[in-house]
Amino acid sequence: MLNFFSLIKNEQIKLYSRFATWSMYIIMAAIILIAALIVFIFGEVDQQQYGDDWQTQLATETKDLKDSQEEMEFMAFDSEIAKNEYYLENDIKPQPYDTWQFTLENAGLSMLISLFTIIIAAGIISNEFRWGGTIKLLLIRPISRTKILFSKFVSVLLFSLTMLIALFVTSLLVGLIFFGVNGVNPNIVQMGSDGIEEVSILIEILTQYGLNVVTLIMMATFAFMISTLFRSSAMAIGLAIFLMFTGNTIIGFLADYEWTKYILFANTNLGQYFGSGSPIIESMTLGFSVAVLIVYFVIFILVSWLSFAKRDIAGH
Amino acid sequence: MNIAMELQNVHKTIGQKEIIKGLNFSIRSGEVFGFLGPNGAGKTTTIRMMVGLMNITKGDIKINGSSIKDDFKEAIQHVGAIVENPEMYPFMSGWKNLKHYARMIPGITDNRIKEVITLVGLEKAIHEKVGRYSLGGMRQRIGIAQALLHSPSILILDEPTNGLDPAGIREIRHYIRNLAKKENVSVIVSSHLLTEIELMCDRIGIIKNGELVTVEDVRDNQENDQHITVKLEVDDKMAAITLLKDQFDIEAKEVQSNVTFKIEKDQIPLIVKQLVQENIAVFEVALERSSLEDKFFELIGENTIA
Repeated sequence: MLNFFSLIKNEQIKLYSRFATWSMYIIMAAIILIAALIVFIFGEVDQQQYGDDWQTQLATETKDLKDSQEEMEFMAFDSEIAKNEYYLENDIKPQPYDTWQFTLENAGLSMLISLFTIIIAAGIISNEFRWGGTIKLLLIRPISRTKILFSKFVSVLLFSLTMLIALFVTSLLVGLIFFGVNGVNPNIVQMGSDGIEEVSILIEILTQYGLNVVTLIMMATFAFMISTLFRSSAMAIGLAIFLMFTGNTIIGFLADYEWTKYILFANTNLGQYFGSGSPIIESMTLGFSVAVLIVYFVIFILVSWLSFAKRDIAGH
Repeated sequence: MNIAMELQNVHKTIGQKEIIKGLNFSIRSGEVFGFLGPNGAGKTTTIRMMVGLMNITKGDIKINGSSIKDDFKEAIQHVGAIVENPEMYPFMSGWKNLKHYARMIPGITDNRIKEVITLVGLEKAIHEKVGRYSLGGMRQRIGIAQALLHSPSILILDEPTNGLDPAGIREIRHYIRNLAKKENVSVIVSSHLLTEIELMCDRIGIIKNGELVTVEDVRDNQENDQHITVKLEVDDKMAAITLLKDQFDIEAKEVQSNVTFKIEKDQIPLIVKQLVQENIAVFEVALERSSLEDKFFELIGENTIA
């Protein structure tokens, strides 16, 4: 076991000895900063301060929303109106936009982390071949290939976890500077599965980040498999990113067919079973999706292992 | 004498092509074994099988009694190796690279790493990034350092003199002989150049088209060097032969247009002097190639030697 930790340490050192890895953190931090600036400068609505007469303010706002909705003959503001009514009914004063809200919104940036994780996963095996064959020196130690493969896989997961934590912490800090904070763990009012509900924002943030981890792990595992199979990172990055971005569109086209539910991308977004979401295909349940994901995961890992543990290391 | 590594009827087939066609030989502990053959003869494939990078199609390789096929971990822990170019992680320093490999085997202390660095003479550059190492010498040294970290009893060096200047080659040769002699390490050195490994090896196995052609004892050949064969090109062959017979008691033969005879090296100047004094014109005095070199050329064919 000590052995395995040493291997993971090796992989982490190799990762963070390269500027390419650090640049991912820098890019993410820059995007968070820009997002904060944009909200800070242009997001007046979000930052609206409610005074002592917030009840009247809310009522007017709700009326305006209803009017414009009637004009547009479209349900665009339904949830806004419902929220406002909930505030008034329960006599809760709406909280101004703060760092918790900002952090919650940044859960969407996990898409970026997926992208970076794919790049790392795609390179972690194939780079050993590309750097003139460091793989040879790696595999002539008294350590099984299986162990080396899994140390690399765990390293990829560790990287994405680190990045996720970095996203959370950076968002919280940047948000704190720009928007301040409304207490340690304020509640927010949002659209839930049974209409409007009041939830702790910390739990909501953890749920959102956690759900995104699922997509992240699946795409990283996929890229890892392609990288091991073809020993080429370009191939793995290209394929994984292509599927990540087109996956949902493809599912959209195929949503009429029952068998679509067995496709990976129909199941990666577990958010469809939480909150206001609804499953892509009616017969799908959370348990079904989790089972499908596990099957895909096992297949990806198995293919990686078969191709890494048995094949000849020949040529460069 | 103990056997460090044994190849038992080793075959390798890739696709339909049989690359290695049944190798049988063993390496004794503490000897330097040269693995010689033209490019493409199967040297690197054999070495890759020795260290478990390639599967053995048929046969087996035993390292200190353990099979590399069935007992990889036990077998490989005795082996340090460079397979083709010793590539390191270019973005890390030499020290970090060595630390990286040291972490993969329990019990390698920082002191041992420093010891190995001193041994290969890399103290000055060890904290520089490997990517900045000049080609050849320094990379070869860090490669050897990496192979020696865990004090292996068998060291496999694939073309270790590649990209080295003559001084570097001499240094490596000296170093390899030392390892074998003082630490009883068996060293397997592959090369496509006889001249480069002749001086450092105890035995040389010659491989051609995936088959072991012969295994030669180098030391035997060098002992014979005390009686070397000399070729003389003179104008009057009969006179020369008579002179050698009368004054030096040497049986010389006429071979083609030359006079050939066996003699100790120190006597050559004296003979030349006598020939000149007797007014026999000497056009050329040449030493015949050693028998090993002859054999090598015979087996491999001169055109394939780079």
